[in-house]
Parts: sequence; C-alpha cells; structure tokens
Amino acid sequence: MSGSPLRERVVESIHVVLPKVLARDVAPEFSEHTRLMEDLGLTSAATLELMLELEENLDIQIDVERIEPTDLASIGALANYVADHAVVAG
Amino acid sequence: MTALAEVAAYVPEQRVPIESLAAELDLTPMQVKVFRRYHGLAEVSRDPDRSLLDLLTCATDQLSGLPGQRDRIRYVLYARSMAVVAPFPLNPLHELSGRLGLGHAIAFTVTHQACATSLLAIHMAGRMLAADDDPEALALVVAGEKAFTRMAQMVPETSLFAEASAACLVSRDGPRDRLLAYAARSRGEFDGDPAERPDLLATFQSAYPAALAEVIAAAVAKAGLRLNDVSLILPHNVNLVSWRRVCRQLDFPVTRVLLDNVPAIGHGFCADAFINYRTAASRGLLKAGDRYVIAAAGAAMGATFSAMVFQH
Repeated sequence: MSGSPLRERVVESIHVVLPKVLARDVAPEFSEHTRLMEDLGLTSAATLELMLELEENLDIQIDVERIEPTDLASIGALANYVADHAVVAG
Repeated sequence: MTALAEVAAYVPEQRVPIESLAAELDLTPMQVKVFRRYHGLAEVSRDPDRSLLDLLTCATDQLSGLPGQRDRIRYVLYARSMAVVAPFPLNPLHELSGRLGLGHAIAFTVTHQACATSLLAIHMAGRMLAADDDPEALALVVAGEKAFTRMAQMVPETSLFAEASAACLVSRDGPRDRLLAYAARSRGEFDGDPAERPDLLATFQSAYPAALAEVIAAAVAKAGLRLNDVSLILPHNVNLVSWRRVCRQLDFPVTRVLLDNVPAIGHGFCADAFINYRTAASRGLLKAGDRYVIAAAGAAMGATFSAMVFQH
C-alpha cells in the first residue's frame, strides 16, 4: 500500500487531526518516522480517538480489530495500517 | 480446597446511556464515541435511590443459603475498588453485618488492588477458613460500589463504572466451584500521580494486555491445565478492546470471554466477576466439571493483575 493515493491522504489527514487529538501543535516534529507514543506521548486510548478522527476526516471505516502495537510504532506505520484496513464509505 | 458455595448478584434496572454522562464527566463527543465504538460501552447501570448499604443488601438478600447458616459465617469481607466510599464515621460494612444478623463475624474491607480486589478477597477468605477451627465455617464476600464521585464514575480513557452488587458465600471445601489456582502480580512501577508523570498511563496501557495474559496463563498452569481446558473466562467488565488484546496475546478465542455485560451494564467495580458468574450460570454456559477463569486487573496506586481458575 506504501505510496498509494489513499496512503498519501492518510498521512495528510494524520497531520490535520493529530493537533486536535493532542491539543497542541505537532508541526516541528512531524515526519513519517515520528513515534506516536514515545515522541508524541499518545496513549492507546488517544490512538483510538485518532482513528475515529481519521475515519471522519477521510470518510472511511477502519477495521481496528487486527491492529498490533507495531502498527502504532510511527506515523508511517499507522498510515500503512489505515490504508490497508480502510473500507471507503459509500 | 476453597469453594464458592453460592454466588448472588444484583443489577439495578435503570440504565444510563453513556452519552448522557458526557457533560458531567467533561468528555468530548469524540471521547464518548471512542467509549462506544472501541471500548464497547453503551449503558451503565445506576441505582440513584439506593444507598450503598441498600445496594449491597440487594445482593445478600438473594443468597438462599444465608438465612439458615448465619451462625456458620465467621468472616465478612468487603472487596472494594475505592479505598473510601462513605464519610467517617459511617461504616456500610458494619451496618451490613448488623442488618444481616452477622454481628458475631469478623468484618473487614479488602482494598488497594482496585478491581482485582475481589479475587484477593476470595483468596483471603479461603486462607482464613482453612486456618479456622471449624471446618464448616463460611465467609461472606460482598462487592459493589456507588458511582458517587467523578473518580468513581470513570477510569480515564478506559471505562465507565456501574452501580451493581454481588455476594458470595465461600467455604473451606465443597463440591462446586472449587478454586484450583490463584495467581496475582502487583506491579509497583505503575504507582504514581498521572498529573506528575503523564507517561505512566501510556506505559500502563501498553503493558496491560501482556501482563493480564501472563497472569491468566500462570494461573492456568498452576492449576495443571492448558488454556484449551478453559471453557470460559469471566472478565472484569473494563472494556472490549482490552480483552480482545488480551485474547490475542493468549491466542484464546474472544468468544469464550463473557463480554456481554460490558455494553449492557458497564464496569461494576469488584462485582463484575460474580455478576458474570450469574449470567453464565443462568445461560447454562457452565456445566459440571467445566474449568473457568475469573480474571481482573486494576490500577490505582500501582497495578495488580489477577486470575483464578475454578472447576464448576
């Protein structure tokens, strides 16, 4: 899925919704290698909130049943997971 | 071998949709959605007209074996998530003992293992009965609390508490629901004030599935069994997503964890195990000889992960 149009949209969307979930700006530290928990301090519950925000922002449904800790290791890993487990609405 | 002689539970009829708690708990619409969509919480039971004492009495009233065996009850243990549930000098446990005609029994509260405390209470009851002069002596374990403060209504990012209660008669030995093994892990490294250590919650959440899975596996092994021998897990009703993660760690089918009461009732503090036992029994999910696990974890000052294996 890496490099697919949906994945690119997911990365852009993460950029948009992360500040909302974290209630702070993340622009200076944002890259695909940014670690969600260690670098940004995202809790697992906040990760779920991030997923819901992404669903709304992208108008997709994400299957979170199969998500593993490695999928939450970084913004890039999360983008891969979302792009691979998204059901486009409509 | 410690046995559960009888288990009773009381769940009030009133339900509160979690959306209606948002303002009081200062939850954003997105946080409410997370609770509903991923944590699987939908409604929580509440009993606004009943005091804590009345709530507990509703469960003990359903113990058919209690009235005829009062003299045999030597210990009354109150398994509690919250350290404080009533202002001094009120003592709901001693009031309950008096109301039930158990003034002769030694009554005390077990706490500090949060929602895993009910397992500790059963374990302690079993040990005291084993050391008692009277082999016929019984212990009464009660659980259930009021969601009376913000802290008693919600585990942040994790669960919403429900008002319900349970009562259990424990015997030194017995033919049914025999305790085969108990394992518990207290993890002091999770102790701390989240306001001072914001990393603590994330670390705990990350460690939780593997830690609970490990203690379940340890209890099953201690009982001389394999996970395949376990017909059912009776969980604490914290949420669905964490149990799915625990099941993945264990490679145990989530369909064999009785999670139906998570959306229907919410997290009933230390009463969940007994409430779920009653649900399983009433649906015929436990057959004679079945081995089942009761498991819970709680975090307050530190964290405790506990599991017990029983044979029905």
